[in-house]
Amino acid sequence: MARLVFDAAAALTILFAAVMVVHRHPVKSVLALVVSFFGLAVCYVMLSAPFIAAIQVIVYAGAILVLFLFVLMLLNVGEETREREPWPFQRIFSGVALVVFAGMLLGLLRAHGSAIATPRAALTGEIAPLARLLFSRYLLPFEALSVLLLAALVGAFVLAQRENRP
Amino acid sequence: MIGSIPLGDVLLASGALFTVGIAGALLRRSAIAIFLSIEVMMNAANLALIGYGSALGTREGQIVVFFVIAIAAAEASVGLAIFVAVFRHKETIDVNKINLLRW
Repeated sequence: MARLVFDAAAALTILFAAVMVVHRHPVKSVLALVVSFFGLAVCYVMLSAPFIAAIQVIVYAGAILVLFLFVLMLLNVGEETREREPWPFQRIFSGVALVVFAGMLLGLLRAHGSAIATPRAALTGEIAPLARLLFSRYLLPFEALSVLLLAALVGAFVLAQRENRP
Repeated sequence: MIGSIPLGDVLLASGALFTVGIAGALLRRSAIAIFLSIEVMMNAANLALIGYGSALGTREGQIVVFFVIAIAAAEASVGLAIFVAVFRHKETIDVNKINLLRW
């Protein structure tokens, strides 16, 4: 039953990611990606990581993609134009590279994917042990992360402001 | 719950999602669509991390995914600010028309 739900959610995720790739309108692409990330959150719940699922919905679908939508609204980007390719072999090469990459990936997964299929101890979805780990052993990266977010905030502000200084 | 989902399913979904992201990054020409495809690839890596962490019974995978999501938020804000700055100069974010670094 858990496997069925996981497979359905994963199929939904991949399907809407593909919808994101083929849609030419950027707003529809972002909205398809929101649905895809909700499917991914269901996958995380089934893999007993409910905290990461909540983060996925709140931060990814709620903040990052809304930021994308804001920038799209700000720039007023229309549909992608499909004029004649100056070098059509670019597209052919990218298709060939994609097929080769997918084949290699699937071969690798078939060879090694089932090697570590025995769980040592079943993981419960509790958040308290995760928080204990985050605030003891990983405290320094956690604090460094806050400095990184501050730097990104200042950097984004400097990059996006108008150049009206003399 | 963990015993009933084989790791192969998780890795297969992760690989398929990564391939979709690669296809988007190669085929699309709007810079924002390429950026979205990169986000999809990052999420495929996250799914593999969670799957392995769940299969091995450790929580380190979730910690790493937490950090990856926070860094993705920082990266998205800076990247979108760069797009806004480029759009002010060139009036487009079509990557075929942006060749500021070519010569």
